[in-house]
Amino acid sequence: MTGVELIAAARKAGRASLDELSGKRLLAGFAVSVPKSVMVADAGAATAAIANLTPPFVVKVMSPDILHKSDAGCVKIGLQNSDQVEQAISAMAALPAIKTARVEGYLVEEMAPGGQEIVVGAVRDPDFGPMIMVGLGGIFVEVLADVAFRICPITRLDAGEMLDELKGSAILNGARGRKAVSRDAIMDVLLKIGGEDGLLMRHAEDFKEADINPLIVSDTGAVAVDARFILV
Amino acid sequence: MLQRYAPLFMPKTVAVVGASSKGNALPNVFIRRIREFGFAGDIYPIHPTAATIDGIPAFPNLAATPKPIDYAYIAVSAAQIPAMLKVAAGRVRYAQVVSSGFGEVDEGKELQQQVLDAARAGGMRLLGPNCLGIYTPRGKITFTEISPKEVGTVGVISQSGGLGTDIIRRGLSRGVKFSGLVTVGNCADVTPSDLLEFYLADEQTEVIGFYIETAKDGRRLFEMLRAAKARKPVVILKGGRTGQGLAAAASHTGSLAGDDRAWIALSRQTGCVLVDTLDQFIDTLLIFQTLTPQPQHPTKRVVLFGNGGGTSVLATDYFARLGLDVTPFAQPALDALAALKLPPGTSITNPVDCPVSTLQQENGSVAEKILDEIYAKGKPEALVMHLNMSAFAGRTPPEVIENVLKAALRVQTHYPGQAHFLLVLRSDGDPDLEARKRKFRDSALALGIPVYDEMSNAGHALAALQAHERFLHTRGG
Repeated sequence: MTGVELIAAARKAGRASLDELSGKRLLAGFAVSVPKSVMVADAGAATAAIANLTPPFVVKVMSPDILHKSDAGCVKIGLQNSDQVEQAISAMAALPAIKTARVEGYLVEEMAPGGQEIVVGAVRDPDFGPMIMVGLGGIFVEVLADVAFRICPITRLDAGEMLDELKGSAILNGARGRKAVSRDAIMDVLLKIGGEDGLLMRHAEDFKEADINPLIVSDTGAVAVDARFILV
Repeated sequence: MLQRYAPLFMPKTVAVVGASSKGNALPNVFIRRIREFGFAGDIYPIHPTAATIDGIPAFPNLAATPKPIDYAYIAVSAAQIPAMLKVAAGRVRYAQVVSSGFGEVDEGKELQQQVLDAARAGGMRLLGPNCLGIYTPRGKITFTEISPKEVGTVGVISQSGGLGTDIIRRGLSRGVKFSGLVTVGNCADVTPSDLLEFYLADEQTEVIGFYIETAKDGRRLFEMLRAAKARKPVVILKGGRTGQGLAAAASHTGSLAGDDRAWIALSRQTGCVLVDTLDQFIDTLLIFQTLTPQPQHPTKRVVLFGNGGGTSVLATDYFARLGLDVTPFAQPALDALAALKLPPGTSITNPVDCPVSTLQQENGSVAEKILDEIYAKGKPEALVMHLNMSAFAGRTPPEVIENVLKAALRVQTHYPGQAHFLLVLRSDGDPDLEARKRKFRDSALALGIPVYDEMSNAGHALAALQAHERFLHTRGG
């Protein structure tokens, strides 16, 4: 499905936002890396479905009624084989929060390798139109509000200045004995989302807000591990 | 495009609606002001019954004037205005509605739409409503009592009428000279970006200032500023920047977004300078009006030179916090200054602190020798000279300060284009001293030197100039 079709389908289903899988398909359409994944209906379908995926795995329940998956025990990470995946799905299905929800299936993904967590976000400003945000993940965003915004479209120069503007930007260069992560990979994602021909310019009227949280960045690349797109 | 704005900035015919036959309403004052200001075109008072207003023949409505109207100043009750503009279809180029009671209050929103519809249908551009008027020295029109006649280079757009008056008056006392100032109030039709378009194209305007509360057509403003690449400095005083996040955010990003974030982004991407106070606004307009940006070598090293040890130390801290570099001289400059054998109590490291006892040597011309070494060996990109006039008073002959200043100017001419020169004249409010300061300020301004009251004012202005130069350096052209 194209971005336009994904958005139309979500609207038709009466949703206020794209579900995670649709959000990731939208990102993939703009060449942002997302984990390889399959949707399965239940535990019994998992083993055959994930034959082409490489462990470790992550399982997430897909339900329009559950917005904050990690809070409700609806995400399991670090699963090493198909037995563990099946067990994880069975255990989730038994949770009261999931029993009472409309469940569309379970998303099984390849787990992204570790790296620096980054948040890339978007808002539609009433005056200026689409804006893009970047910040370092975790407490940097949630507690310190250490983020940089720009009005779309941005240039590569803007993307670099956004990273420089973060108070924690030294972390990207490998502070406290950690390996430096790829600034280029982050800037590439910022341009694919907020650049001249990026997702936000192409869908300027579609989204009120968006979070790619986290984008996991290594020394070579960046993977969007979770994504939320709130429709206008 | 410039042609389109000519009737606003240089009207030949002006209609005034709302003047009373008794001669004391705001529009009567407006008529008197523009006559005093030298407006030589036709003035058409509009009045339903009076034959003359203030001795000028009056007309019953905007359609009854002998010639079409370039600019109509309208100050009558809001409810009368839609019908009045309908009658005037095709006869008015710019209608400035000063009256309030429109979009700024809930019950006036419908009325504002009616005024806008009437203006659009009648082919006129609408300024306001809820504003004070226009100050255009080239067109000899002004809405405010104290309005310099000289045509300057700073073009201003203000969404507040009262603040517009403050900008003119305070600007005048600090040396800012305007190419125009338009108060746009609720911006029902003409928006800040419309006037930005004019000022960017207008050859008379070299510096642009905004007081903005809401951008109106923000997207167009952004795109216009981005395309302009800061070829003219733009200074923005933004009201209402503290709103935090979206009211009902559904995401992390939404909760972190807010008006301030958007305007900071705008300034980073377009090279506009954002300021926080009216004083910073005036100070920043002044530095851009007087000094030529040097994008080839953006301002970095700053030398502070003057009398007052504590003042120098505090200013060094303040400038450093603004990102300006006031580090001590390297050895060659120190050696050269040491060789001058200045009296004890003089500090030559940068900041260069010269007590009055040093500055009064050779009746003030010692400053030339010091500054010459600073320029030759210290190679600053900016020099801030600060004189505490209180410390000179009663201790030195009156010409000493003048000689110090002249010495500084001579050195400037020996090193053309090397360093920005700013003057800080510090005083204590004593009336005699203030009067002397006023004289010095005027003569310095006449020579194109920006003058500030305190080091912090000069620091903010210089930091703005630095930001502008850096933007041009990396993104200009």
